[in-house]
Formats: sequence, structure tokens, C-alpha cells
Amino acid sequence: MSLEPHIFFDEVNERQGVFHRRTFLLGGFAGLGLLALTGRLAALQLFEGRRYQSLSASNQFNFRLRTPPRGRVLDRNGVEIASNRPDFRLLVLRDEIGDVDATLDKVAELIPITPERRKALKRDIANSPRFVPVAIANDLTWDEFSRINVRTPELPGVTAEMGEARVYPFGGAFAHVIGYVSKINAEDLQKAGPSPEPLLLHPGFRIGKQGVERAFDLQLRGKPGAQKVEVDAVGRVVREDPAGDIKAIAGKDIQLTLDADIQNRALEVFGEESGGCVMMDVRNGDILCLVSSPSFDANSFVKGVSGVEYRALAQYERKPLLDKALSGLYPPGSTFKTMVALAALESGIDPNTRYTCSGAFPFGNHVFKCDKVHGTLEMTGAIATSCDIYFYRTALAVGVDKIADVARRFGLGQTFDIGISGQKPGIVPDQEWKRRYFRKSPANQKWFPGETPSVGIGQGYTVVNPLQLCVMAARLANGRKALHPRLIRSIGGVEQPRGDMVQDLSVDHAHVDFVRRAMAAVTTSGTAAQVADLGLGPIKMAGKTGTAQSHSYKGGRGAYGARGEWALRDHAWFVAFAPYDDPRYALSVLVEHGGFGAQAAAPRAREIMRVALLKDPELRSRIETPLPLPALPENAGAEGAAPPPPTLLPGAPDTPV
Amino acid sequence: MTSSALTRPGQRERLSSKLFEVDWRLALLLCMIAGVGALMLYSIANSSWEPWADKHLIRFGVCLALMLVLSMVDLRVWFLAAYPVYVIGFVLLIAVAVFGHSALGATRWLKLGPMQIQPSELMKIGVVLALARFYHGVSANDARLSWKLLIPAALIGAPVLLVARQPDLGTAILIALTGAVVMFMAGLSSRVLAVGAIGAIAGIPPFILFVLKDYQRNRILSFLNPEADPSGNGYHSLQSKIALGSGGFLGKGYGLGSQSQLNFLPEKQTDFIFATFGEEFGFVGCFGLLVLYAAVIAISLRIASISHSHFGRLSAAGVTATFALYILINAAMVVGLAPVVGVPMPLLSYGGTVMVTVMIGFGLIMAVRVHRYAEITSGRGALL
Repeated sequence: MSLEPHIFFDEVNERQGVFHRRTFLLGGFAGLGLLALTGRLAALQLFEGRRYQSLSASNQFNFRLRTPPRGRVLDRNGVEIASNRPDFRLLVLRDEIGDVDATLDKVAELIPITPERRKALKRDIANSPRFVPVAIANDLTWDEFSRINVRTPELPGVTAEMGEARVYPFGGAFAHVIGYVSKINAEDLQKAGPSPEPLLLHPGFRIGKQGVERAFDLQLRGKPGAQKVEVDAVGRVVREDPAGDIKAIAGKDIQLTLDADIQNRALEVFGEESGGCVMMDVRNGDILCLVSSPSFDANSFVKGVSGVEYRALAQYERKPLLDKALSGLYPPGSTFKTMVALAALESGIDPNTRYTCSGAFPFGNHVFKCDKVHGTLEMTGAIATSCDIYFYRTALAVGVDKIADVARRFGLGQTFDIGISGQKPGIVPDQEWKRRYFRKSPANQKWFPGETPSVGIGQGYTVVNPLQLCVMAARLANGRKALHPRLIRSIGGVEQPRGDMVQDLSVDHAHVDFVRRAMAAVTTSGTAAQVADLGLGPIKMAGKTGTAQSHSYKGGRGAYGARGEWALRDHAWFVAFAPYDDPRYALSVLVEHGGFGAQAAAPRAREIMRVALLKDPELRSRIETPLPLPALPENAGAEGAAPPPPTLLPGAPDTPV
Repeated sequence: MTSSALTRPGQRERLSSKLFEVDWRLALLLCMIAGVGALMLYSIANSSWEPWADKHLIRFGVCLALMLVLSMVDLRVWFLAAYPVYVIGFVLLIAVAVFGHSALGATRWLKLGPMQIQPSELMKIGVVLALARFYHGVSANDARLSWKLLIPAALIGAPVLLVARQPDLGTAILIALTGAVVMFMAGLSSRVLAVGAIGAIAGIPPFILFVLKDYQRNRILSFLNPEADPSGNGYHSLQSKIALGSGGFLGKGYGLGSQSQLNFLPEKQTDFIFATFGEEFGFVGCFGLLVLYAAVIAISLRIASISHSHFGRLSAAGVTATFALYILINAAMVVGLAPVVGVPMPLLSYGGTVMVTVMIGFGLIMAVRVHRYAEITSGRGALL
């Protein structure tokens, strides 16, 4: 009993001692743990702080793609022929909407969605790639747009966006040249490679499908920008950060050489007729007008044409979708006689050679006909009256190879690099061509003499497009340069090479002068004597008509001129340049199955040419020169009685008043 | 001992003397930590008292009062209540296992009328009290190594198994470690400790492979390789590190933590509030907060060591250990040194249950200080 308190006391002391020692240990452990934490915090916050700050920022901020405005297309005077208009649209992001049906239900309360559209939308949303929005409505009115914009906070993943849509102010006038844009399709995406630019997938993006829009798509496209937004953990936008935005770089503007007024007038004068018209500035090769009729409204292609609409366009016999100015091939008919005449002059044939036209010319076992009996003619008269017999015989005298040589020098049978695709080269036949063309049937490879007379009047194998005939007229009018047509004047302000920076036309100026005089005779006394009168005083137009047979008349199917079934009628041509004395503009007009050139083509050419001439300020002053006042008697006495001649030079008359 | 008020008979039992003996420095530190918690909760809620900051402060006020009341309770009452509290806690744990209320895939709660109680929280105090009570009557030799030690092992093991079954791995580990600390403080042989530690470490891989549920295993695997699945299992850990790391030296500024304000950080107001704090106040803020916690631990251990009774020493040390383990486990989880287990930061995190447990614990520590001269002579206690 006496020991117990002692032991008890000892025990207490021992237990207390152990406890105290271990308290220090425990405190030490806790301190170590806290120290380790401090070290870890230092590592995270002090040494790796930068890395985590950037991770935090990438959590916090998202970049939304902003589509760049597509470059505009302008005419030579800066008139917009393809531009952009504001487009209010509604986008959804698959990753941010929870229930597609619920979201569509809510959207449908604000803007109507038809059941079919709803089905298509659900499919589109399900198939959309991650982070790529789907447009569930385009072309909203301001009313609808603001209504949705107010409600978007309740609709996660739905954003109302103000974008831009392509618009063609002139509708169809430039449709073939400019083409159109449309939504990117699977094929285009495939071409873009395995990981396409995000821009291509944006619902606001449109890709050029035809003409300039397609050929210069990359230049017009621009560079996308980005909008910096602060998002929360579920991706909802909390704030916008305008300071962090990356500006979209607009696409480059493309200026064409075309003139909107001439182009519009050209399409207008064609009316319902099918055909094409090309006009060039003969001083520099600029294409002022490149029209194919009938045309189509490119704006409807931007929205996406329905199958019915497209079939209607594709199946119409006058082929609105075909660019006849570049892709349409037609026999040049009598307009080709200018080339035959040049070939004859170059071959040393005297232009005063006379042939007698009796309405028919038997050659071999075939009788070649003329449309009337012209009697005896020399070359100028034969061109003016477009006598076929004269040129059957001239062609035989010159030979097909020489004719083809001259025709090619004047631009026929070839394509020109004008920036857009779609030209067909056509055929300028000669012996070599025939050998190549019939290489599989040796019996046909030989050039038969009986084929040459047809070539003399621009028939037979010969086919050309309206652009080529315009180049021919322009080169005739220029006389010195092998003018090259130019359609693209500048890209993003950078001037493109002009069409007159080319080699000289290898031809005798005297020969060209002769043909030009003959073409002047056509419009003064020849086939186009009345119809080609411009009514612009001193300004006169020189030209050549053509009536090209499109089908054989045999069996009563085809008919000469504008008779019978449309698809079997002759093609009407007119090539011209003006003013005759100082050429500035050349054009070619084709009216497909239009009948006589003088009836269908020449009056249209006259109207189109008038617009170009009246727009030219120098020519305008020449036309509008006030009549000189009668000379004062004393002056007349002092300086002689000769009346002042009509002023031909631009500027004010220098007649003393 | 000089003649002071305390030496006079009965003087120590007076309420005014007892209140004077409460460690007000410790109380002030606790208030500061809770205040920082309220500050952060206000910031996370977009500068609003709703829905967390106001409740946090009200709860802390109530718990502070509870702590002061408990600190007035005579240590002999605590001594007497030790086993009953443990038994009640254990029975409630069994009740949870049999007809507990499930939430979030775990059965941790017991519905008693309008109240929901979580017996595993009660057990944190219960185990400490029971162990302290047990060791109070055990000699130093027996405490070092004897067959008697199977009793404390069972006292720890049984509730740990029940809690782990709920499943609540975090609390189970906390209870087990707290128990181990009390046994250590009581004088457990360091050899046994070493063998136990080695055994525990060796037991981790089979434990992870065969005992853990899938989601628990994934948490641990993602802790080992958080970048493997940054949006899935590794998300918590990664976002927490981003929040802390992006705070840098001085932090992004109060109310400007993008990680928490924009909800990238999950559980930002509870388990990961330390990351939010670190994002807005940076390394300087984190260091300051850890200093506050370290001061609380140091003062608590000092209180434990000046107690005259072994029960007082061990119970105060046990509660301190619980508190320290909370801090270390939570902070290690937040900084990415430990897998994500649901252990909150005491007094900083929003949540009533843990706050009640912790403040009851500090009530016990305060009681140990107030009654540090109390003599608990026999196993039966001297009150009767």
C-alpha cells in the first residue's frame, strides 16, 4: 500500500515525460507538414505562377470567330457590282445547348420553324463539328433579331449574330462574269485538306462558285478575326472584352474593266433574245462589256436555289446558265470575210480583182450559193454587200492555210487569260488541224478543195466565241498591237497588266486600212447602211454583219434568216468599231438563232455602242460641239472667206467670237 | 504557490474565474480564421452575403457560444461522459448503416425529426475522449506495449470500419490517424509505430485495388496522373492548382479570382475554398493563413502539455491532432499533393457539421485549460 502512491507518482511522471517529449514531436510533425505545404505553395504560386496564369486565362477567355467582310467587286468607275449587306442570323453551338428539342421549342416561340426545317436543323446540329455553330435562321428582320437578342440569356448556346451576306445590286447583269457565292459543300471541304481553316466551317462563310467569285476567292475572302469573350465553366459568355479582339481583315476589292452602264444596256437590248456581247477598248484591251443573255439572278444562288428553280434554269432552251460570250461557239459567218480579205491582200491578190456573182458558184460536184445576185464586184464592194461568191473564189485563190494564219493572228481559235475560266477555243480549220482532228480516220485527214469555199464565208468547221470576234474587231481597229483582253483591272488596288503591253500585230498597216475602209462601207452603203447609224453626228461606226447558218437547210428543216423553228434559225452577228476615223471601242454582238445579222445584231450593237460613246467625255464634247457662229464680216474680209471647218478636236472652238 | 485568487478554496469553481482562464488568444485566432472564411464566401458569391457568408458567420457565432459553454464544463464531467459519448456515437453509426439517409451515393446521415445528424462527426470527438479515458488508467509500461492495447485498437478500428463502409474515406482516415496520434502520445512503442506505419504503407496498394469503390480508385489514379483526364477525374485537382498557381505572389485581388468566380473550380465554397483564397490573395495570403493555423495548433498543444491530468493532456492533444490533420489533408489535396478526399478546411470552408465538431473540440481544449489543475484520481472520477 505504501508503494502504490510512489509508483503512481513515478508512473505519472513517466507518462507525463513521454507525453511532453512526444508533444514536441507532434508539433514538429505538424510544423513539417505546414512547411511542406508552404514549399508546395511557393512552387505553384511563385515558380510556376506564369504557367498557371496562362492556363487560368485560357480557361477564362474564349475566342469567337469573326468572319471577314468579303471583298467587293467594282466596275471601272467604282460602282459596286458585288457587295455585302447586313444579315441578321441565329446561331447555335452544339456543345453549349443541352437539349436540342427544348432549345428549338424555345426558338420556335420567337420565330416560326416549319416541321421540315426542324428536321433538317436537328440533322445539321447533330452532324456539326465541335465548336462550329449552325445557323438555324438567316435573314432575320430587325424586329425578329432584337426579339431574340433580348431572350438569348435564357437560351444557352444560342446567339443572335449580325453578319454579312453577299448581294449583287445588278441582279443578273453580271451573273456570268462575277458568278456567285454559296455555302461550302463537302466537296469544297475535301479540297481544303484534312484540317480546314475554322473560317470555312463558319455558317456565315460563303465560297465563290463561278466567275470572278471563284477565280479570286482567296483574295476576296480576307482573314478572319476573333472576338475575345470571358466565359464561365459551362461556356456561357460572361463578358466581352473589346480590347482583346482581333480585327478581321476584309477581303481585297477587285475592280473590273467592265462598265455597269454599258453592261446593263447590253442586257437590256437583248430582251428575251439569246446571245452574247463583248465590247473592248481598242486602245488598251479593257473589256467594257461581257454579257450573255438570258441571264439569271445571282442573288437567288446566294440563298440557295431550290431544285425546281435550278431545273427550270438548266432546262430552258436558251440556256441562261451558259456564258455564251466565252463558252458559246458559233460559226462566224460573214464577219470572217474580213480575215479572208486580209489573207488575200497578204497573198498579193489585187483588191481590184473582180468576180461576177450570178447567185451560184459550181465547184466540184457542189453548187455554192449566194443570197442574191450581186453582179460584178471588186473586194470592197464584196465586203460591203457581203457577197458569198466573191469570197468562195477568193478563199480558193488564197488557200485555207493562209486564211487560218491570219485569223489566228487576230485572235480567233484561241483562249485568252482574262482571269476567269470558261472560254472555249473554237476551231480555225486548216490542213494541219484536219490531220490532227481526224487522226483516227485517215480517209478524212486530207483537206478537200471543196471544203475551202465554206471557210471563205466563215462556215464549215469554223467556230468562234463572241470574245474572239471582239478581239478580232479590236485588233483591226487598233491596227498596231495584238491587243489582249483585260477583265481584271486591279486586285486590292494593285493594277493588273494592261492589254496593250503586248507585241505588235504583224500585219501590213495598208492592208488593215483597206479592210477598215471596207467595213466603213458596210455601214454607209452596205448591208448595215441604215441600221448601224449611230445618230451621233460626226461619230460613225464601221462594222461587218454576219448571218451564220446553224443547221443545214436541206430537207426543209433550217431556213435562211429569221423564219421557222427558233432552234434551227441562223445566228446573227455584228462586229464593229467606232468612231470610224479614230477607233476607241470595238464590239461583237451575237444573237443566237436571231436571223439576219443586219436585222437582229446590228441595231443592238448600235445601241450598246451609243452608250459607250456617250459616256466617253472626249467624244461627247466632239458630238456636242456647238455650231460655230457666223464669222463677223470684217474678220471674213481680213482673213479670207473660207468658213471655219467643223471642229474635230476636243475642247472649245477656237473660232474668234 | 503564491497566494492568489486561485489558491483560495472554491475560487476556481466560480464562473468568473473560469471565464478568465479561457484562452482568449486562441478564441481570437479562431474568430480570425472564421472571419477570413466569411470574407472568401462573400467574394465567391459575387460580393454577396447570400447564400454562404451570412450563414457561415451565424453558425460560427452559435458555435463560439457553444465552445464557451463547453469550456465551463468540469473536466471530470467530460471524463465521465467519455465512454457514454463513444457508445452513443457507435450505436448511431450502426443505426446509419442499418437505416441511414442516403445522399450523393453515400449513407452518412441519420434523420432525427427535422435534424440530420452525421454520427461519424460525433465519433471524431468520441474516439478521442474514449482513448484518453482509457489511457488515463493505464501505466506507462502497458501503454508502451501490452495486450491491453488491443482495447484502444478495437476502439479505433470498429468505428473506422463502419465509417469507411458508408463510404466516407476521408473521415475514416481522419479518425484512424487521430486514434493513432493519441496512442502515440500515450507512449506507444516506437517499434510498434514503425511496424504499423510500414504495414499501413504496404497495405495501400491492395487496399486501393480490392477494397475501394471505382470512384474512389479513379480519384487516386487521377491524383497520380492528373493530366490523363483533365476534364474528368483529374479536373478538380487541375483546376485547383490553376487557381492557386495563377494567384502568384500577391494574388489576383479580392473578388477577382476568375477560377472561382466563373465556376471553373468545383466545390469552391467547401473543400476547395483554400484554392479560392490562394487565387485572390496569392502566396502572401496563403502563408499568412497557414501561420494562423500553426498558431492555433501550437497554442492547443501548449494547453495539452500544461494539463495536470493525463485525460486532459491526451484529449486536448487528440483534438489538436484532428484539427491539424484536417488542415494538412485538405491543403495537401488542394495543392495537389494528395488525392481528392472530401475533407474540408476547418472554419474556412462552408459547412455546419464540421464547424460544430471542430468547435466542440475547441470547447474540450478550453475546458482542459480552464480545469488544468483538476485532479482525476480514479477510474470512476471524483465527482460522485
